[in-house]
Amino acid sequence: MNRALYLHTWRSQRLKILIVFVALTIWGALLPIVYGTFGQTFKDIISSGLIPEELTQFGGGDIFTLSGSIALGAIHPISLILNSIFAVGFATAAIAGERQRGTLEVLLARPLSRRTTYLTLLAATLTFVGVALLATIVGAIAGSAIGGVLDELAVDRLPLLWLNGFLLFGAIAAIGLAASVSFDRLSPALGVAVGLVVVMYFLEVLGTFWPDAEGLQPYSLFHYFQPKAILEGALSGTDLALPAAVGIAAIAWALFEFPRRDLAAPS
Amino acid sequence: MDAIVTAGLTKRYGHGTRPIHIPGRGSTAEIRALEELSIEVHEGEIFGFLGPNGAGKSTMIRLLLGFLHPTAGSGAVFGLDIVRDSVEIRRRTGYLPGGIALYDTLTGERLLDYLAGLTGRPPVRRAELCDRLELSAATLRRLVRDYSRGMRQKIGIVQALQHDPELAILDEPTEGLDPLMQRAFYGILDDLKSAGRTIFFSSHVLSEVERVCDRVAIIRRGRLVALEDVDALLARRKRNVEMRVQDPAPVLEGVPGVSNLTVADGLVTCQLEGDVGPFLAAIRDSRIVDLTIEPAHLEEAFLELYHDEAEVAE
Repeated sequence: MNRALYLHTWRSQRLKILIVFVALTIWGALLPIVYGTFGQTFKDIISSGLIPEELTQFGGGDIFTLSGSIALGAIHPISLILNSIFAVGFATAAIAGERQRGTLEVLLARPLSRRTTYLTLLAATLTFVGVALLATIVGAIAGSAIGGVLDELAVDRLPLLWLNGFLLFGAIAAIGLAASVSFDRLSPALGVAVGLVVVMYFLEVLGTFWPDAEGLQPYSLFHYFQPKAILEGALSGTDLALPAAVGIAAIAWALFEFPRRDLAAPS
Repeated sequence: MDAIVTAGLTKRYGHGTRPIHIPGRGSTAEIRALEELSIEVHEGEIFGFLGPNGAGKSTMIRLLLGFLHPTAGSGAVFGLDIVRDSVEIRRRTGYLPGGIALYDTLTGERLLDYLAGLTGRPPVRRAELCDRLELSAATLRRLVRDYSRGMRQKIGIVQALQHDPELAILDEPTEGLDPLMQRAFYGILDDLKSAGRTIFFSSHVLSEVERVCDRVAIIRRGRLVALEDVDALLARRKRNVEMRVQDPAPVLEGVPGVSNLTVADGLVTCQLEGDVGPFLAAIRDSRIVDLTIEPAHLEEAFLELYHDEAEVAE
């Protein structure tokens, strides 16, 4: 890993990191506050049978328990978009974007091997992903405290929740970086990464609402993101192992592909 | 030791894979970007690398720096293999890409610090280079995005040379520089040469190659056309001679080095190649009103070589 490149990457992203951190903290706090304030009212409405039970859950989350509300916030499209700013946006631009702008040439003219360059950018991306997920945890704690339900929060399970999210978005980031080293231009790399995330998210959500589509859920990485199960102490080892395996496979591909590629002159 | 040695260095695109489609040319199985190039660049010399767009100049540079992998042949920089030892080669090299792209959101100073940090060698020549290229401290504090093309080029030159590399690979280094800055840049090259540094210089501007380079290689369609001293190349070049004389015109038929002779109304024109002695001896007794012998320029030599090569190819 190269220290100068890592620090430069941090410096160039610091404003974005700050904005994402604040936004995810606020978002992470919102649903526990909603649960603390209106949770019982929502539970009464559902008990009355006015709303079908299938529509009260989204991606394994709900607003009738604290763990469900935290899970709902974590799997919600807003959370996905904010986390994807680094896991998809930064990761795909890390190499392909520099290549398209022509600055990769200046970077690789230094005594840096391509593997060192890749591993440094991977480390930076994973740090950003980890910080963003930390914001969600901070928000959940703050929201629980504000909503007066902190005593319901299994604080000791929060590190595992962070790890599960980190492995999911880390795997997505590794896929984004693998796409980034495989293309000369940003748009195809971004297209591949965004396409995969959207399809996987769609498969997971579809299975939530439509029982016949449940068989598709295991093909989605989001299926292995289980905040509610973790907070309730029912985590499966597969939920950690599978995203980790996908991430490692993507990293292995990038380490193989990037050094052997020809980097022709930027057009 | 030679700074750069290549032996049969070849780069082809598309071999063994799907055909490459080039608009207007249909599909082709492969593109021969560089074909069996063998050159030696001596330590401490300024070596010019010439050729029109698409001749293979950038391919050669990118092979030397490890951006591309050779299809065949080999290359070494300071005895280091261009494939296996690419990182070590780049540690001892400074590179100015043609039409350099920079990080626009950094100030000039921050950019130079960052690139020096990546190089891992102190920027011992930065102050001197900035001074000679008139990059003031105030200029370096501005964002790169606000720089003019010439200022970007100056920053590009400084980033390539600030760590005092043993080999500088410069692709169109005076592009965008005004004549005063070009002159300052030539002075920098002279000093680098005096300090024993090697410069691999790619340019379209033949007059500057002629001015600064010791030797030149000329490539055409990926193949080496000529590799020799600039002086020797110029000495072989035919110079245009125009002479106005009072009758009788001197007898120049059969004079060594004279060709394409025409005589009309007291105006004698011809081409002169090599030693001018026989020509001067032949006109010694003539009454010459006016005489012009154009100095040999690399441009004409370059065009002649290209013309000859094209004829051979046809």
